[in-house]
Amino acid sequence: MTPTPRPLCLLAELTYRCPLKCPYCSNPLELRRYRDEMVTTTWQRVLSEAAALGVVQVHFSGGEPLLRRDLHDLIRSARRLDLYTHLSTGATLADEATFERLRSAGLDAVQISLLDVRPSQNDWLAGAASFDKKRRAVEAARQCEFPVTLNVVLHRHNLDRIQEIVELAVQWRVNRLELAHVQYVGWAFRNRAALLPTKEQVERAERVVARARALCEAQLEIVHVLPDYFQQYPKACLHGWGQTFLTVAPDGAVLPCQAAREIPGLTFPNVCDVALADIWFEAPVFQRFRGESWMSEPCRSCERRDLDFGGCRCQAFLLTGDIAATDPVCHLSPVHELVELALRESTAGKIAFRTMPPDGSRPAIPD
Amino acid sequence: MSGNLSRPLLVRHARLRWDDRRGQHQLVFPEGMLVLNESGAAIVRLCDGRTVAELVAALSQSFSDVPLAGDVTVFLDRLAQKGLLRDANT
Ligand code: SF4
Ligand code: SF4
Repeated sequence: MTPTPRPLCLLAELTYRCPLKCPYCSNPLELRRYRDEMVTTTWQRVLSEAAALGVVQVHFSGGEPLLRRDLHDLIRSARRLDLYTHLSTGATLADEATFERLRSAGLDAVQISLLDVRPSQNDWLAGAASFDKKRRAVEAARQCEFPVTLNVVLHRHNLDRIQEIVELAVQWRVNRLELAHVQYVGWAFRNRAALLPTKEQVERAERVVARARALCEAQLEIVHVLPDYFQQYPKACLHGWGQTFLTVAPDGAVLPCQAAREIPGLTFPNVCDVALADIWFEAPVFQRFRGESWMSEPCRSCERRDLDFGGCRCQAFLLTGDIAATDPVCHLSPVHELVELALRESTAGKIAFRTMPPDGSRPAIPD
Repeated sequence: MSGNLSRPLLVRHARLRWDDRRGQHQLVFPEGMLVLNESGAAIVRLCDGRTVAELVAALSQSFSDVPLAGDVTVFLDRLAQKGLLRDANT
């Protein structure tokens, strides 16, 4: 067996609180069960344990990380540990002063989410008037000389507007446009029927992206993540379970993947009880899908098993009920018809927006 | 965004660091990182807006087996293509 590599990337989910209601949010469905948030000093300990473990890049995320009043202190601590720091934000709470403070705290890069190029569509999907705020935030971040990635999650309702999205990204002078298709886990799985695009939409989008890439090469880097439901083979999820990525949830739970939290039968150690290095190297939940010994057929004897690692564990569980199954997206999966059935049954149906029950302690405005 | 920079300057969002755990130089940027050897790290350290000729000259002070000027240019082009260098003149 190859030795376990050290993680390169920490996703620090500082809070699950968020003013938006994106219907494909990667946070748990049962948000009310996870209200606890670690205090500043605990997060600082997590950061130094992560640095000692070999982490190079930290993504401060959420929920909305700007709702944490100590965000600047955490960025400063991360930089003192020589970690490269990213902020992933919905950007409804950020003006130029915010970004100036983030800059002086040492933040390296900014990622801003946009739901659609049409303001009304964006605001409908986000569940809040947010388009203009996002536009101003992008401008403010560019003003402060941050490298900005604009992140647009793709699905049935915006896939036909890729051309306009690219034009907007050029106009907003972002450095990078990430067009990542919805991953059907968590909230997105609940909303799958309403979010899945048609095959024609996907094919058209591919052609549009290819053309746009050729045209904007000099100004804009475009990353396009294709929807795996339409592929022959699954994604190399996480570059392998417990190989590169590590997520720490707001309450301190340590997850190999942020979507894994609600899979029954998995137990996640908490960084408040156990050292991060011990969790990474020894926790059963991290060991479980390392290497190949957990695989069954057809993966076990497949020549692609060290390319895609059998696909996404969360997806395997959601579709088959067996977390160790071959990702059904793979056309070699014995139950691949589950994916084809979902594609046939998709309609522009009703959407369940992310909700978090009202909570008196929820701060309305960040620092 | 291609090469031929007369005065290469490391862009603000790229950072050279030493990884103690792995024992390697890393040039880190938003999308990932490059692992560099000693001379690669030395070249990046010299990307402070001086000319390529000055850079090569300074390099020969710290390395007995100086990387050839041609190799240095190839390396700089590679970084420039990734958007990690800009020209200090512009
Ligand atoms: S996906 Fe949307 S709702 Fe979920 S945390 Fe991000 S911005 Fe908030
Ligand atoms: S059978 Fe398993 S390893 Fe082979 S391509 Fe499909 S998911 Fe990947």
